[in-house]
Amino acid sequence: MMKPINLLLVAGAFAALLSGCGETPQANVAKPGQSAAKEGDKPYQNDQFKGNREEWAKTLRSRADNQNEYKRVN
Amino acid sequence: MARMKFICDAERCIECNGCVTACKNEHDIPWGVNRRRVVTLNDGVVGAERSISVACMHCSDAPCMAVCPVNCFYKTEDGVVLHDKDLCIGCGYCFYACPFGAPQFPSAGAFGVRGKMDKCTFCAGGPEKDGSKAENEKYGRNRLSEGKLPACAEMCSTKALLAGDGDVLSDIYRERVMRRGRGGDLWGHATAYGRPDAKAAPATPAAPVAQPAPQKS
Repeated sequence: MMKPINLLLVAGAFAALLSGCGETPQANVAKPGQSAAKEGDKPYQNDQFKGNREEWAKTLRSRADNQNEYKRVN
Repeated sequence: MARMKFICDAERCIECNGCVTACKNEHDIPWGVNRRRVVTLNDGVVGAERSISVACMHCSDAPCMAVCPVNCFYKTEDGVVLHDKDLCIGCGYCFYACPFGAPQFPSAGAFGVRGKMDKCTFCAGGPEKDGSKAENEKYGRNRLSEGKLPACAEMCSTKALLAGDGDVLSDIYRERVMRRGRGGDLWGHATAYGRPDAKAAPATPAAPVAQPAPQKS
């Protein structure tokens, strides 16, 4: 008759050996047409714009408009 | 807001490479990787030489997204094409698909092993938390979340390279063409932003200026 501790050790070793037979999936789950990338932050969700998309868009639009030197005072 | 676009005005580009330097400096790009570069067409042909600054154009129907085997690309609501470097396997399919040669691969070890793809992010970082150290190390600075436009365009001294909302850029470019009365062709614009069914006609360079015949004495 085995001692309980030995029985536990044998069971543990058996489980450890068995886990070696397992195979974890190594492929990315990439579905056609669907991005697998993490979802990034929205560029206006920060302290500066406080989630206000309109404010952010307005800032960028005015900045883009500044690229037009015809609108500058000469 | 329409969508983010780049425009390079070949009539204005003086091939100073200021955009290339600004990009490299802003994002601390490693040696051998050029997210943006200046290409000269008809080099040396008098009157027909044009330079254009090329990077990822953030295409409407991006071919890189279509060919990526791990689907690591995604498009933001403002039309910026970004990718997740944690998923990229460096296969190089996107490089073959891109009509602008935008995807770049850093050398990652011995025997020329390719690293993960790197490309222009429109200064919008990546899927990591905005402004985080991880985002900065992987994708460079996130200027868009600071309310700024890409560094290359803001740095352009002749304002040949424009970036921003497509509607604003169209207005600026239209005014330019109206004033100078020529140079309405935008290189790569139809390829990047045209409809999939539209056939992009290649831009023909201006006719070279005829060289005066040598005088016989």
